[in-house]
Amino acid sequence: MDHIVSVLLSFPPGNELSNAQYDKAAQAHIKKIDKLVEENVPAFAAAAPQCLELVSPEINSLSYLALLRIVLADEKTTEAQRVGVLPKLVTFLFTFDPRQIRYAGNILSAILRAIANRELLPDSVAVDSLATAILRINPAGSMLTSHHISLVQLAYESNCIDASIPVLEKTVVFYPGMKGAGEKPFPSDMTLTPPAYITVDSGLTTKLSTTDVLQYDLLCGLCFMAKRMWQQAFDALERVITYPTKDTACSKIMVEAHNKWILVGLLLYGKTPSLPAITSPGPQKMFATLGKPYASIGKAFESLTPDTLKAEYDTFLGQNFFAEEANRALIDLVMMHYQRWQIINLRDVYTKISLEEIRARTQSAETCAQLKTEKEIETLVQAMIDEGMLNGVIEKSEDGSKPAYLTFLSLTEELSEYEFGEKMLATAQRIKELAPIVKATSERLATSREYIRHLVKEQKREKDGGSRDIAVAFESSIEDEDLMTGIMAGH
Amino acid sequence: MNDSLLAFFTAMDNQGGVIVRDTPKFDLDLYIQNYRGRTRFDRLLLIGRSSVPLCVDALKAAIAEAKRSRDTHRYREAVECLRIAAPSEPEASFDQAWLESTEAFNRAETHRLTAELKGYKNNLIKESIRMGNEDLAKHLESTGDLNGAAEMYSKMRPDVSTPKHIADVGRHLVRVSLQRRDWGMVSAHLSKMGSSHNAHDEDSVSAFLKISQGLSYLGQEKFLEAAMSFLLTNPAAPEASFNEIASPNDVSVYGGLLALASMDRKDLQTHVLDNPSFRTYLEREPHIRRAITQFVNGRYSACIASLEAHRADYLLDIYLQKHIPKIYADIRSKCIVQYLIPFSCVSLDTLNTAFGIPSQPIEEELFSMIQAGTLQAKINTIDKHLTTVSANPRLKLQASALKTARDFELQSIDRLRRMSLAAADLELKGHKKMGGHGIVSSDLYDEVTVG
Repeated sequence: MDHIVSVLLSFPPGNELSNAQYDKAAQAHIKKIDKLVEENVPAFAAAAPQCLELVSPEINSLSYLALLRIVLADEKTTEAQRVGVLPKLVTFLFTFDPRQIRYAGNILSAILRAIANRELLPDSVAVDSLATAILRINPAGSMLTSHHISLVQLAYESNCIDASIPVLEKTVVFYPGMKGAGEKPFPSDMTLTPPAYITVDSGLTTKLSTTDVLQYDLLCGLCFMAKRMWQQAFDALERVITYPTKDTACSKIMVEAHNKWILVGLLLYGKTPSLPAITSPGPQKMFATLGKPYASIGKAFESLTPDTLKAEYDTFLGQNFFAEEANRALIDLVMMHYQRWQIINLRDVYTKISLEEIRARTQSAETCAQLKTEKEIETLVQAMIDEGMLNGVIEKSEDGSKPAYLTFLSLTEELSEYEFGEKMLATAQRIKELAPIVKATSERLATSREYIRHLVKEQKREKDGGSRDIAVAFESSIEDEDLMTGIMAGH
Repeated sequence: MNDSLLAFFTAMDNQGGVIVRDTPKFDLDLYIQNYRGRTRFDRLLLIGRSSVPLCVDALKAAIAEAKRSRDTHRYREAVECLRIAAPSEPEASFDQAWLESTEAFNRAETHRLTAELKGYKNNLIKESIRMGNEDLAKHLESTGDLNGAAEMYSKMRPDVSTPKHIADVGRHLVRVSLQRRDWGMVSAHLSKMGSSHNAHDEDSVSAFLKISQGLSYLGQEKFLEAAMSFLLTNPAAPEASFNEIASPNDVSVYGGLLALASMDRKDLQTHVLDNPSFRTYLEREPHIRRAITQFVNGRYSACIASLEAHRADYLLDIYLQKHIPKIYADIRSKCIVQYLIPFSCVSLDTLNTAFGIPSQPIEEELFSMIQAGTLQAKINTIDKHLTTVSANPRLKLQASALKTARDFELQSIDRLRRMSLAAADLELKGHKKMGGHGIVSSDLYDEVTVG
């Protein structure tokens, strides 16, 4: 027992180590633990619960993880013991040392998978710990892993979305299995870019399929929709739509995303969004045919009266179309937003308008009629102002000499030179922060086999081509001369 | 209005025709004297079908006109109209004997000309073939078979030899296309004509060219182009060279109205009022000239009033009828826009007195103008005034700069993402088309609380 504890506590050593030394020490430590376990499994398993009390999850993360695995995997562990260990597991996931954990990817992944399968923790805790663990492995969240996919599925299915939002909001630019990663660096190097240490070999992720990636972004969109974060939902769906494809391929997920994207676009911008230019031609064609009902809804939404929208809606509703497409709630929201956008569009025409006039000028798409009282309009407009959809104020005169009216406030305030500079600088800064990623990408591309082969070929051709050009030039000049002499002789 | 007239115009209304109740300012007989050829009947019938006061007179004149020609179809059409509108008139019954004899004559003539043409073709004399085709085409045109006429006229083309012939073929084809209201074909034939005609007959041909070009643009609702064509019509051209499609007065009205609808004040001054060649035409219609002068001088309500006074006349014009509401609306909104230019804020009452029509307040019109983007202003219905929106270049610049920077950032991220996807070999491949990826189906992931 003492021997076990001393081994467990021996890593990390107190003094500073270089990356290479750290790498060596960590590998050795893992071997030592494995040996301990192999020598006497029952003894180790028996000692594990006690050891968990002695070993710090923060400092001795590798050892702690090994203990957790033994406890959770051992057949003799009673249900009570298992439950007792779970709080420790959560603490561990919230506090582990990200440097050490790079050496135990397989074990960590096994535990995370078990959590994602709802085997260990209740849903809300599971989502929270998964999200925290993912961000501890890669704080920038710039790399998609298999855990992201299980997280978003779990969050969406269990409807515990809040805790997963910090992960879902991160910009993903790396994917597992990228070719051209050069020589193997030490995982202990904390300056590494995520794709260098989050690899299939390290066990921190598994290989992903195209479907996984598409599904991840679609589910992200759905989660954001559930939280009414329309802009984020729109962006996520747009990522699915513009997914790079070859040979006019198109996935069903993309079509589904496109249809939802139109509806979210209507809520967000009040008009049908136009397809981004980078959408591949195959999906574009597919969207045009399969997205027709949505396109017609979008067109009807833009018209000045709700009659067509209502008619379209009723037809599709009759066919149970939206329920089959799982868009019922979304389309109902679109119907509700029609009048809101009518009111917002009045902004282009009026600076001040009485509530009574708003009532007369706008109709609800749900009933195809104007609202009945000024009070209802006031509630609606006030709700829009409160939600930040509309920039304006409702004003009422004290003495009742004027009707209650809405004043539209200007959308964009003119910025002072200083504020403007600040904003531009912030953007510039964010672009600068991309520099490491750009560097990593360009290094990866420059060292890839295909590129080098291409480069060699290019250089070779340049050499050959140059000499051939000279020969051609020489020949043609000779020909010219011949011609001239011929003519001269003719004279 | 008596019962039969009422029934007639109800029928016309149901067919989507335009009905003009006001008495126009022109005299029907004098008006129709300006024209020659088949357009006379077209114009008379249109007036008969549209104008309440002139209905019976115009229809009777149309019947007389049809009887002078050999077009039995037109005769029937006009008599049908009159039978509903004024059954008691003597002209309202079919002249069966005339109909039969004309139809028999037409058949015989078609037969004779076709036979002749066959003979010419066998003799292979180009000039005879051309004339044979032309005779047959003219005969078909006069009997109202416009499709056949167009076909025969275009068959003349391979056998033309002199520039005059080319111009003639062009004229025939343009005239027939105009009658068929086929504006695209008018343009096509005109471009062929324009490229080939020469100094010979310059004046008459060029006037014909410009007028038909203008009509073709008008038919396609290209008002500015149409106006420019009419404004360039040669004043020295003899009336006879183009009065089978329009009269000089028409040129002045078309040119003036369309210019008003499509040009700003400066252009009106230079292209219309100071245009010496168009002046000749403009003098024939002094009220058009007055309206333009009023517009240029900023007396917008006077301009609108004098145009309104002649609305009935223009609604009875064969080419203008369909476009008058749009032309008038364009002029009106241009007046309002021009009126507002010197102001930053105008009270709605002032606008109402300047432009208002008693039945409808101006606000509604302003609303649609602002929504359509023709007017850069905003309405304040509480304090009852209209503020013009001045462009703020600084704000625009700032917004566009911020947007560009943001777009650049997003694009860079997206490019990186795509490169990574390509590197990880995650692009969607063709062979697993549709369904292969359809994992996320609605059964698996039911929608959660969106609503």
